[in-house]
Amino acid sequence: MAQPLAGLRVLELGTFVSAPYCGKLFAGYGADVIKIEPPGGDIARAHGPFKDERPDRETSALFLYLNTGKKSVELDLRTPAGRDAFLRLAATADVVIENFRPADLRALGVTYEALRAVNPRITLVSITAYGQDGPYVDYRSNNLTAFAMGGQMFITGTPEGGPVKNGGYQADYQGGLNAFSAATIAVLAAERDGAGQHVDISVQHCMAPLLEAGIPYYSYLGRWAPLRRGNHMASFIGIYPCQDGHLGVHVMPRNWKPFTDAIGRPELFEDPRFTTQADRVVNNDELMGELYAWAATETKLDVYQRAGRMRAPIAFVHTMADLLESPQLNVRGFLQRIEHPIAGAATYPGPPWWMGPDAWRAGRAPLLGEHTQEVLATVAGMSAAEIARLGPAVPAT
Amino acid sequence: MTAPLAGIRVVDLTMVWAGPFGTRMLGDYGAEVIKVESPGQWDLLRGLGQIPRNVPRWYNMSAYFNHNNRSKYALALDLRQAEGRTVLLELCAKSDVIVENYRTDVMDNLGLSYADVRTAKPDIIYVSMPGHGKSGPEKDYVAYGTNVEQLAGLVSVSGYEGGEPLKTGFSYGDPTAGTALVAAVAMAMRHRLRTGEGAFIDLAQRENLTCFIGEYVVDYSMNGTLREPAGNRHPMFAPHNRYRCAGDDRWVTIACEDDAQFEGLCRAMLQPELASDPRFATNAARKANEAALDAIIEAWTAPLGHYEAMYLAQRFGVPAGAVLTIPELMADPGLRARGAWHEHTHPDAGTWEMETPPWRMSRTPGQVSRPAPGFGEHNSYVLREVLGLDEDRIAALYEHHVTADAPDEGLHQ
Repeated sequence: MAQPLAGLRVLELGTFVSAPYCGKLFAGYGADVIKIEPPGGDIARAHGPFKDERPDRETSALFLYLNTGKKSVELDLRTPAGRDAFLRLAATADVVIENFRPADLRALGVTYEALRAVNPRITLVSITAYGQDGPYVDYRSNNLTAFAMGGQMFITGTPEGGPVKNGGYQADYQGGLNAFSAATIAVLAAERDGAGQHVDISVQHCMAPLLEAGIPYYSYLGRWAPLRRGNHMASFIGIYPCQDGHLGVHVMPRNWKPFTDAIGRPELFEDPRFTTQADRVVNNDELMGELYAWAATETKLDVYQRAGRMRAPIAFVHTMADLLESPQLNVRGFLQRIEHPIAGAATYPGPPWWMGPDAWRAGRAPLLGEHTQEVLATVAGMSAAEIARLGPAVPAT
Repeated sequence: MTAPLAGIRVVDLTMVWAGPFGTRMLGDYGAEVIKVESPGQWDLLRGLGQIPRNVPRWYNMSAYFNHNNRSKYALALDLRQAEGRTVLLELCAKSDVIVENYRTDVMDNLGLSYADVRTAKPDIIYVSMPGHGKSGPEKDYVAYGTNVEQLAGLVSVSGYEGGEPLKTGFSYGDPTAGTALVAAVAMAMRHRLRTGEGAFIDLAQRENLTCFIGEYVVDYSMNGTLREPAGNRHPMFAPHNRYRCAGDDRWVTIACEDDAQFEGLCRAMLQPELASDPRFATNAARKANEAALDAIIEAWTAPLGHYEAMYLAQRFGVPAGAVLTIPELMADPGLRARGAWHEHTHPDAGTWEMETPPWRMSRTPGQVSRPAPGFGEHNSYVLREVLGLDEDRIAALYEHHVTADAPDEGLHQ
């Protein structure tokens, strides 16, 4: 397949993670994505980890990853000329992605109404923690506070350790992916009948329903158990340390026989304490004891491949080193080497899903303001004199 | 206004969570989704409802199933029988999309591979969403919910500071893949409208989730350093943690990203002098004295309710959020104001509240278009109206148990 989003132009007013991840997916699948950066750049440029641990706005792993395949235009939207240049770009665009607080976007004069006035086909995708209205509309938020308010934090961790977030920026990424899915169906609608709309993504509304059976059981049956279960949903669904890492088992009733074979303990299959899943729940501690003892003798790659051949659900906790060496990921072409003029070469994951050999092209992240002159001249149609009037935020070519 | 996916018909062979969660959103936003279950091999979630087995049609009353399968139709069809396969291919011929999340060899063994379905519908959009993907040396390995995040690399960077790798609180890879499904289908539809070509989409759940920690991959490949779990801390900012509040197991998160926000927190705590205390006056100083700062903040939050602490901090422009439980989510004033919960009536299960479609689209809103289907509820609609089968053929399907109006209840007792 050719790139499925070819021919679309996207403006990204994206800060940090959520909107940039949405923009990254647009770029990877073929859209022309123009990232509008404030003077000094997206704050992700100031975040590590940096290449060789030396802060440099062009070598942040976070920025490099989240901004593959985009163009960078450095523009001060707080100035009338900057806002005007932005609206001239918006007149040519299909989608605008942003993750400002609603009040902050209004202060810039870049509301949906202002965009629609210059381009009725435009889809504005807004990503915030709580949506475009409601009692929390003016709240400050970030990944940690959104993770808490979305309900995922309470169930993560152990009873004694307290709630804990997952690694990285999971609430932000969920916002970015939800925004991308919503944006693609809005694009379908706009291409059908020529009209755009405002898409309002609340990270809290996206996250809250996802707690497995938690909401259904509470809402329908009135049942809820305030549990944090650490690394074990049960003895047969959990993580066990092994000699060189950690194994993960997830045994459904049908897997008990191949599981006991794969771990070399066929007698457990005959053991009356563990005959049915209900028996295994009743004798949970004893089975956990058996599995801790078993795992301590294993090495991760060996047991993973043996279990794979025997159709037993045992995986291992992949470190970043394991990911880079993964036979599966390497054979599938999921890991891509991308060169960058300042940061050098690095390995990037992607595409998130495969749609054909030519559907995804990542490209490198842009330097700050790398495309300012080019985009303002060719896309916004501005003269050299008009561009010069934008002032020092726009670097000379 | 027309729904964004109106006019698109989806054949849904998915079960349990990842697939059904995704196809439900296709239904919420306007697609006609037909869920296909076999009388002898039906969705496990129907059995996970904590419903007593002596209740008539208990298999239609699982809230876990009914949340994830609303906005769909249901057809009962045994794909292992030749006539079941034939009917499925006839349905594909009248559909736009087919989605499956079986183990990688199942569809091939049923004679329902992408190549097989293309013979019935050349421009079909065929989506597979297995754990590892449809190719590669590990494609046939079994990977369930909690395995996906282990394989994705997320678990290795999650956990308490200096602690063991830690799982998420749920099968995180599932809804993440389901959310991605919507974009994959929408993009393939756009491509088909422009070129007339169908598509094969391979949505490997582990790869989709690895993209949620991509910065760690890039970092490791540049620097060769394995990062330890950081708990609730942030590598650059302080304070950045969760703090105990009044009540049993109640907490608030507070995360300041600059001096102005920290000054606001000091004023909220009625300790404005802390903002100029040399231990805390700059972000670097706060990071260096993070433990002492956390103790001061927790002394402030400890007698407060978690919502109360959030409100007080936010009054002063401080990013703060209560750590909400499930009952609190359903009562939360913000989610209530947004209309996140919606009273819903199902013919067998009754009336209760479920979540609304998450994305508010001003011109083409989504909606819960119909209750989750009972087992085989739309056999007649699909077989007669969509496919136009004659009565003799339909009778034969029932006679040979290729279809049925009730499932084999023994499967998920």
